[in-house]
Amino acid sequence: MSTDTKTTTQTTVDANQRSLIDRFTASPFVSRLLSNRLALAGIAIIVAMVLIAIYARLFVDLEVITQSQLGTNPNRAAPSLEFPFGTDGQARDLVPRVAYGAWYAMLFGTVTVAASTTLGVSLGIIAAYYSDVTDNVIMRTMDVLLAFPSLLLALALVAIFPDDLGLWRAVAALTLVYTPRFARVVRGAALTVLENEYIDATVALGAADPRVLARHVLPNCLAPITVQSTLNFGLAIIDLAALSFLGFGAEAGTPSWGLMLSNGVSQGLLTGVWWWSFFPGFFLALTVLGFNLLGDGMRDALDPRMREAVD
Amino acid sequence: MISTRFVLKRLLLLVPVLVGVASLVFAILHLSPGDPALTIAGERASEEFVQQVRESLGLNDPIWVQYGRFLVDAAQFEFGESFIIQRNTPVSEVLTNKLPVTLELAIYGQLIGISLGIPLGILSAVKQDSFTDHTTRIGALAGISVPIFWSGPLLILLFAQVLGWLPTSGRISVLYNVEAIRVTGLVTVDTLLAGEWEMFISAARHMILPATVIGIYSMALISRMMRSSMLEVIRQDYMRTARAKGQGAKITVLKHGFRNAMIPVITVIGIQFGGLLGGAVLTETVFAIGGIGTLLVEAIKVGDYPIVQGTVLTFAFLFTLVNLGVDITYSILDPRIEQ
Amino acid sequence: MSTAPEHPPDERPPLTERATVRLHLVGTALVVGVGVAVVALVGSALFGDVTAAVDTTFALGSLVFGFGLLGWSGAVALGRGIEAMQDHLDTRTGWTEPDARRAMTRILGFGLGVMVGTMLVGSVVFGSIF
Repeated sequence: MSTDTKTTTQTTVDANQRSLIDRFTASPFVSRLLSNRLALAGIAIIVAMVLIAIYARLFVDLEVITQSQLGTNPNRAAPSLEFPFGTDGQARDLVPRVAYGAWYAMLFGTVTVAASTTLGVSLGIIAAYYSDVTDNVIMRTMDVLLAFPSLLLALALVAIFPDDLGLWRAVAALTLVYTPRFARVVRGAALTVLENEYIDATVALGAADPRVLARHVLPNCLAPITVQSTLNFGLAIIDLAALSFLGFGAEAGTPSWGLMLSNGVSQGLLTGVWWWSFFPGFFLALTVLGFNLLGDGMRDALDPRMREAVD
Repeated sequence: MISTRFVLKRLLLLVPVLVGVASLVFAILHLSPGDPALTIAGERASEEFVQQVRESLGLNDPIWVQYGRFLVDAAQFEFGESFIIQRNTPVSEVLTNKLPVTLELAIYGQLIGISLGIPLGILSAVKQDSFTDHTTRIGALAGISVPIFWSGPLLILLFAQVLGWLPTSGRISVLYNVEAIRVTGLVTVDTLLAGEWEMFISAARHMILPATVIGIYSMALISRMMRSSMLEVIRQDYMRTARAKGQGAKITVLKHGFRNAMIPVITVIGIQFGGLLGGAVLTETVFAIGGIGTLLVEAIKVGDYPIVQGTVLTFAFLFTLVNLGVDITYSILDPRIEQ
Repeated sequence: MSTAPEHPPDERPPLTERATVRLHLVGTALVVGVGVAVVALVGSALFGDVTAAVDTTFALGSLVFGFGLLGWSGAVALGRGIEAMQDHLDTRTGWTEPDARRAMTRILGFGLGVMVGTMLVGSVVFGSIF
């Protein structure tokens, strides 16, 4: 990043005039990423899941796939041409349910990651900029939060929120669980940027704090933030499903992958109805793998100085 | 080699850890919605009865009095009786029954993680950037991408239902009465102690799948740590010198590198023990093994506060003890570090 | 109670000096905590239910206090392990044990302050002193 930032300083005016797309494709980060085959596979998986999610949201009737279909469809039918993924214990076709699960995973995953990114970025930048006591107190608090096993911490936090929030309760708990990761990454990256002398020059000229942060520090932290968000997206999908699996997420009947897995395991697996849990789990694992592959590739494509901050 | 003073100092740390955890639990229970008196009395109880329950629980006292009482009780591991899950049974009794179940799962899981993770990490480091190295690393990434609540069912499907090699769930065949020979509560140990060979085989077969599922997670982290630590040791000067003297590369690595490379790995094993307990919650649910993981989840769901308090403090206690063990091992491996 | 030396043994400052530094850290945070609690409770007395506010404020204080205490012991117990782990997993964040302990001392002091402040105000409100 060091060479990047120097170029940016010298050509600040030019850089502002160039279009965003030009800057995007010209960046060494993007070109390094696009030459990584595993990362490309990750992108392909994610794009496919997003398309499935959008399809489900637009063309699947939530009402129909939530209600029992006993009497209409065969109950617990094995995968066939008519029902490629089979039917569950209430005779519901699993194909639209699994597809709708993709929408839930993407929607709640995005909200969780976006919320924790916003919180974490704010805390991280404040810590980096005001250093000393503020920095120490914020960051060491984040460290303690990070030291808790994430699922146990999420369970403790879920207990605080009222249970009529459904999946949103899990989203709120996980947002707090993930915030420290972002704070840490951003602080690390921001410190690297702040170490560059041109920030000192700006401060000397009397630029107000928020302006320095917004104009100089934040734009240069975007790459590591994006990497962390991607890696975290996979984790968020797993943890949201885990909370649903344990009974702290989606309400009964909701076509979320975690809940389908939970019902499939507890009611279907031992009687041989394997498809009930297999297909939701398969799509869940595939999506997570997609985000992990992309995130790992992005991490390798990062400048080494920024890479140290991302975990 | 290790001074008693060092161990005592470390044991003394249990005090702030437990007071800290107890305060957190106290705070969370008081901040969460739901009234314990109402939970015990039941939704339809008369207002008078609810008041009576509230009085008997001391909920009418000022909150700092409640806090003080809570700390004193927690220090004695005295949490009263379960409200709901096992009505009128002391929490300590419920925990004594359930704790060994989780402990056994965690021990075997960690054993699998260590015994696979360390060799894989060394292999990856010695053959850096080879095909083996890449396969191991991608394997570890895939391993952490698959959630326990899917890998568990998959293994049940394959090994229990399709192949029929292993049992699907539980700790031991229902034909056996383990309670009769209970000593430690760890079924694989109790059956051996009683000399019941067939029962032991049954218990061990039940343990394989859940321990593997939980072990894969530890393996991923341990192998990654081992690889990096080993690479660092191999690059050091004295290793190069040793190699230059003409010893075979493999022997050099094993003799000089291993001991030093193990030091950071061991600390990681201690720290991620907490993650292992988190994994146990999910694994117990998938394999229908009733340990303190599922107990905690149940207790949070139904609002059985005494159980929640007891379980969380037990988790913290275990975690601290494991890390004390790690610290001691650490000072044996590297005596310079002892404080 | 603290065990890990911040300096090599031969250049450790005398015990009294270290104790003073620590007391100063806890003390300042404690005073701030008491202040915050008093202001919050007096504020809530003007607008609503004080009894509930006392409970919530005290619980929040114990949350912060417990968190700080746990963090402090965690830093002492696991400090070395965390430093080693960060070295090896490519995530160097400049985490050091003494820094962590100092931050946690402030946090637990603040939490304790909130608890004490709530007790003071609460005793006045309930008309009895415990």
